[in-house]
Amino acid sequence: MASIGRRTAMLAGLGLALPQPALAQMDATRAMNFIQTTGNALVEALNSTTLNAAQRRERVANILRQAVDIEGTGRFILGRWWRVASPAEQQEYLRLFEETLIRNLAARLGEYQGVRFSLGRSQQRTEEDVLVTTVVERAGTPPINLDWRVADVNGQPRVVDLVAEGTSLRLTQRSEYSAVVQRGGNQVSALLTAMRGQLQQMQARE
Amino acid sequence: MCLLGSELRRIFALVEKGPVQPMRFGPLLATALIVIGLAGCATRPPASDPEAVAEYEANNDPLEPLNRGLFEVNNAIDTVLLRPAAVVYRAAVPPPVREGVRNALGNLRAPTILMNDILQGEMDRAGRTAARFLINSTLGIGGLVDVAAWQFGIRGHGEDFGQTLASWGVGEGPYLFLPVLGPSNPRDLLGAGVDVVASPWFWFGQGEVVEILRWVRSGMTVLDTRESVLDTLDTLYATSLDPYSTLRSAYRQRREAEIRNTGRTAPEAAGGTGFGVGVGVTVLPGATIPPR
Repeated sequence: MASIGRRTAMLAGLGLALPQPALAQMDATRAMNFIQTTGNALVEALNSTTLNAAQRRERVANILRQAVDIEGTGRFILGRWWRVASPAEQQEYLRLFEETLIRNLAARLGEYQGVRFSLGRSQQRTEEDVLVTTVVERAGTPPINLDWRVADVNGQPRVVDLVAEGTSLRLTQRSEYSAVVQRGGNQVSALLTAMRGQLQQMQARE
Repeated sequence: MCLLGSELRRIFALVEKGPVQPMRFGPLLATALIVIGLAGCATRPPASDPEAVAEYEANNDPLEPLNRGLFEVNNAIDTVLLRPAAVVYRAAVPPPVREGVRNALGNLRAPTILMNDILQGEMDRAGRTAARFLINSTLGIGGLVDVAAWQFGIRGHGEDFGQTLASWGVGEGPYLFLPVLGPSNPRDLLGAGVDVVASPWFWFGQGEVVEILRWVRSGMTVLDTRESVLDTLDTLYATSLDPYSTLRSAYRQRREAEIRNTGRTAPEAAGGTGFGVGVGVTVLPGATIPPR
């Protein structure tokens, strides 16, 4: 009894080091099912013959909006600059981030027909999420390893990262955004300006 | 003048003592060290800001000001020379011919890949590399046709001495960006040099014809490599707010995956550093390329 009490006291003394019980764990099967469903919906939208390019893009964007943990991913990517940003900047950043991410992915996927994807055999589990591996194939091009990091967000499975051939999208983008903030004199506003400009260019191109 | 990474010194020491002859790389590295010293380094954030320090260390880029300068030099050369050459190459040469060129370049690298498979103790992979070399050099008409993959299902993989050093526990050292070559580091740069010298083609034959063939091979390697990353780099430059740091992060992650042998499409044809590794950003096939 005494030893347990002392250990508890020691743990309590460490305070923050105690694990947070509220964090739900992601079940591997559930994550796989989620990716299977999302992947099928994407493939169906992309290979649809009744929709035109703009409609396909819109359909893909809607699927992505539902599947991706946009706020969590956006905060992860802004990283240490999130706390530096004012509440207004945080709001503006999340708005721009969602627009940029969805447009970027939808534009890249939108023109992409005849795609097939298959779930890989291996799933890597961490404490917080599951990495579901898939292989994306299209006739005439080498297959691509595309891994989806799936976490539990408010009781729902959500995509928090895409890993293409070993390269994590959120890590790469965090490095990019942080460089823009630092080169803009450690101002988050510099990043927001750059993002706004980029979004305008994207809209002009569509 | 800044402190050099301990990794760089370790590699330097390895060259001095090690199995590699120092005469070829000693002066090269010494010159590199002087250039690095003169160009100045990125400012390390103060210890009072642990998150900034953590990011600085994760980026592994103490020579960032120098690297960004070289990145600009690269972009200038690329805009006027390399990219146009790759665009013309793609437009003028039909895909089967380009594939043949890539196969042949990959086949010429087979002895190097084999050496590194063996040095890493990967006997299974070494067997596949040897079989591919024998099959493709003969049935594949000097490597032009990848008969080994096509008829025998023996798929190729890349391997280089930089990866071998990594598997021996040598760290990458500070990130480097070099014009034309692209993203790299001292370990992979040294590895690429060792691969050149250890290749039988470096010792085999002499005379004008052989000399010309060597130049043709080098030129075709640069052209083939640039063509292979044409869409990827175009997309990267068009979508990244800071292409330099995107490339740095993506390249280092890709290289890490290569060392772990987890990549599905490891390029054989190109060398073990720079753009030959790929740039780490995978463009989904069929993606539209925005104009640069």
